[in-house]
Amino acid sequence: MSTIVEARGLVRDYRMGDEIVHALRGVSLAVHEREHVAIVGPSGCGKSTLLNLLGVIDQPTSGELSIAGERVDRLSDSRATEFRLRRIGFVFQRFYLMQALTARENVELPLAEAGMAGAERRERAVELLDYVGLRKRERHRPSQLSGGEQQRVAIARALANRPSLLLADEPTGELDARTGAEMIALFERLNDDGTTIVVVTHDEELARAARRVVHMRDGEIVG
Amino acid sequence: MRSLLAFLLVLLLPLRAGAQGAATQRSIAIDSRLAADAALRVGDRVVVASEPGMPGDTVVIAAIVERRADPAEIARGEHRIRLHLDHLQTLLGYGDRVDRFAVGTRDARATSEAVSRINAAAYGFRAHRSADVAVETSRTFAVVSRFHRAIGLITIVASAIFLLCIMLLKVDERRRDVAALRLIGCSSRTIVGSVVLEAAAVAVLGSLAGVAVGGAASWIVNRHYQAVYRTPLRFSIVTGDIILMAVALSLVLGIVAGWLAARRLTRQPPLVLLGR
Amino acid sequence: MIATLAFASLRRHRARTALAVLGVAVSAAMLLDMVMLSTGMRESFRGLLLSQGFQLRLSPKGTLPFDTEATIRSADSIVALIRARPSVAAVSPVLGGQLHFPVGASTVTSTALGVDPSVQGDFELVAGRDPAAPDEIVANDATLRALGRSVGDTVRAAAGYDPQLRTLSGQRVLRIVGRVRFIYLALDQRAVALPIGTLRAMNGPASEGRASLAMVRVRTGVDVERERADLAAQLRMVTVISTSEALKQVDERLSYFRQLAVILGAVSLVVGFLLVTTLVTVSVNERIGEISVMRAIGVRRWRVVAQILLESSVLMLVASPIGLALGLVTARWLNSILASFPGLPERIDFFLFQPRAALTALGLLALSGVLAGLYPSWRGSSRPIAATLRQEAVG
Repeated sequence: MSTIVEARGLVRDYRMGDEIVHALRGVSLAVHEREHVAIVGPSGCGKSTLLNLLGVIDQPTSGELSIAGERVDRLSDSRATEFRLRRIGFVFQRFYLMQALTARENVELPLAEAGMAGAERRERAVELLDYVGLRKRERHRPSQLSGGEQQRVAIARALANRPSLLLADEPTGELDARTGAEMIALFERLNDDGTTIVVVTHDEELARAARRVVHMRDGEIVG
Repeated sequence: MRSLLAFLLVLLLPLRAGAQGAATQRSIAIDSRLAADAALRVGDRVVVASEPGMPGDTVVIAAIVERRADPAEIARGEHRIRLHLDHLQTLLGYGDRVDRFAVGTRDARATSEAVSRINAAAYGFRAHRSADVAVETSRTFAVVSRFHRAIGLITIVASAIFLLCIMLLKVDERRRDVAALRLIGCSSRTIVGSVVLEAAAVAVLGSLAGVAVGGAASWIVNRHYQAVYRTPLRFSIVTGDIILMAVALSLVLGIVAGWLAARRLTRQPPLVLLGR
Repeated sequence: MIATLAFASLRRHRARTALAVLGVAVSAAMLLDMVMLSTGMRESFRGLLLSQGFQLRLSPKGTLPFDTEATIRSADSIVALIRARPSVAAVSPVLGGQLHFPVGASTVTSTALGVDPSVQGDFELVAGRDPAAPDEIVANDATLRALGRSVGDTVRAAAGYDPQLRTLSGQRVLRIVGRVRFIYLALDQRAVALPIGTLRAMNGPASEGRASLAMVRVRTGVDVERERADLAAQLRMVTVISTSEALKQVDERLSYFRQLAVILGAVSLVVGFLLVTTLVTVSVNERIGEISVMRAIGVRRWRVVAQILLESSVLMLVASPIGLALGLVTARWLNSILASFPGLPERIDFFLFQPRAALTALGLLALSGVLAGLYPSWRGSSRPIAATLRQEAVG
């Protein structure tokens, strides 16, 4: 199995007024293909920061990071954007769907950006919605969907361009227990079907569903 | 005759100081514009004639006169000279004719009495009050005034729309804050009141700034057009009434715009404002 | 997709969008009006001057045509001299004056133009014919109404009127042979035209050989300015002005309106710009989370900017025709105010619609609107994604 994520000595510092916050203090991590990894830890331990670096949404202050064999720690903005489009799928706690678009159009968005033609794009979007069990809700807008349904749409969107890595930041954070359980089942299915997943979570059930749990505290991996 | 006076062709053969002139040489006064354009000074001698190429009289320039601030003379690039009445009558072959008499009276009652008495006895001419003549001759400026008022009206309407639009946008930006205030128990009245107060303060400050800008612009306009048209006329005047009207109007527009924008927001349920 | 998002965003806040469209439309209307004002008078006047094809005008030295009561001496010989030039196609002498028509116990006074009917360029025939014989006259509607006469009637006219003695001098009986519209006079101004020789005779010996103005039409291909310079050098007792020189004089006298137009036009542009900037800024600030997510899922920055700019462009596109209609209506109103200037020729318009100028103005506004959206949209799409998402999560 190849290594999808290779992180070495990642440091991320933030300036907050006069203080410097050391969010990550030299984190090293490797994630292999088809792994399902959960990163857990108390609030403020740096797990979301780490996820942002893995998602190439943020850049480390120092350290090295490779994803799918490509160095991503010093990419230009345009290269980083391109990388996120084609290699990364991101699922957010608050779904962040485009309120003005339907479920299908939300899934189509990254496909359109990647240059896929209209008919093919629609077909793929419907396929993905079918995969997450929302084929019948394709024409509904986010305001007409429940929290769980919105998160499923967000997952379908994240999978649109067949990413090398699916990242999820507290995906069950805004969901009730039952819906959360459905989400966990979906993640398990995704992983069984070959998707490499890294999840940041407080949810113990979600963490248990992962094959490997990484513990963080105070900006470091402790276990 | 006035037109002829205005465009009396002056043959510019200034005889500089030092040349001998006849003892009975008549004198004239010229306006400052002619003095500047023809480089004439008091004491210079010129020839005045009723037509170009015709023999005329040699006269001496006794005075240079400043133009009056007469709006009727704006944009007319003419020169004016003043002669003794009998001299001009002779030059033009007018005999003892005149275009008009000007009569000064003691007060308004005396004016009315004079007009009645003159018109009762006059044969072939009429007396008019200067004020009535001014109304008739200022029809052009009445049109300009109407035009300015129309432009002003359009500007006010446009400003009201812009103001409403921007207030709506800026108040809309605070929808979450408004939602939070409503959720913790603040009444719509309080919220609308605070927005209106803010809008009023901005309106007053803005209108005062506008008055300052308007005052500066007025000064620039006067300086510019006085130079262009070579006149002492004041083209723009900012009075207390105008300032008061501008501030009052801005205040009213600002308050109304703020009230409408805030009212619109507070009528929506807080959760809707939060996007839930 | 970008278009879908842009239109959806506009539809989301209908009241705001409608008001913004109205605001931009008002800006567009004002800008259009000012463009029409700045070019209208000049073009309208140029059209008027050239309507009869006369490119040069001769007037008494130091004056503009009909600015004063002065007349050109020996006008006939001057006209003959000019007609002899091979570069000249026609010369039309005009003598201005007044005629007094006794009507009952009172007198109706009318502007009188003595013309050469074969080459005249001062009036257009509405009914009847040009005055050919010495005792024939044409009049406009205002005169015919005041006199209570019509084409075919005769009138007694006098060139002189002494108000003190109430006597008329230089009287003649003239036959009205035509109803005309005077090109350079106001619609409500009473005016008549008759052969120049008749008017001179009625005026008396002082008018012999005199004219107030001579209009010159040069042949096709002749350099008008050169002809003007030649004539000015040859005829030192008159002022020769070309159409362009006349326009320059008009520009100078009406420079106030042009400058007002420029200032108000610039203000309209600035206000439109500010309006769109504010709208886009607020719109971007509201959707900053959404924008950051789009960037997070891989949508390129320029596409995000393009989506936002598309919104402001749509605003402009919708507002422009509304602004055009509004502008034409207000221009008509403003023109009707200025058209009541005393003595203004009927055909002079202060606000003239020229499609090219209008398109340029609206294009300028549209461009400024797009540029207005550029900075806030670029700024919004350039915010650090992680920090923005964190902020939005907390908010």
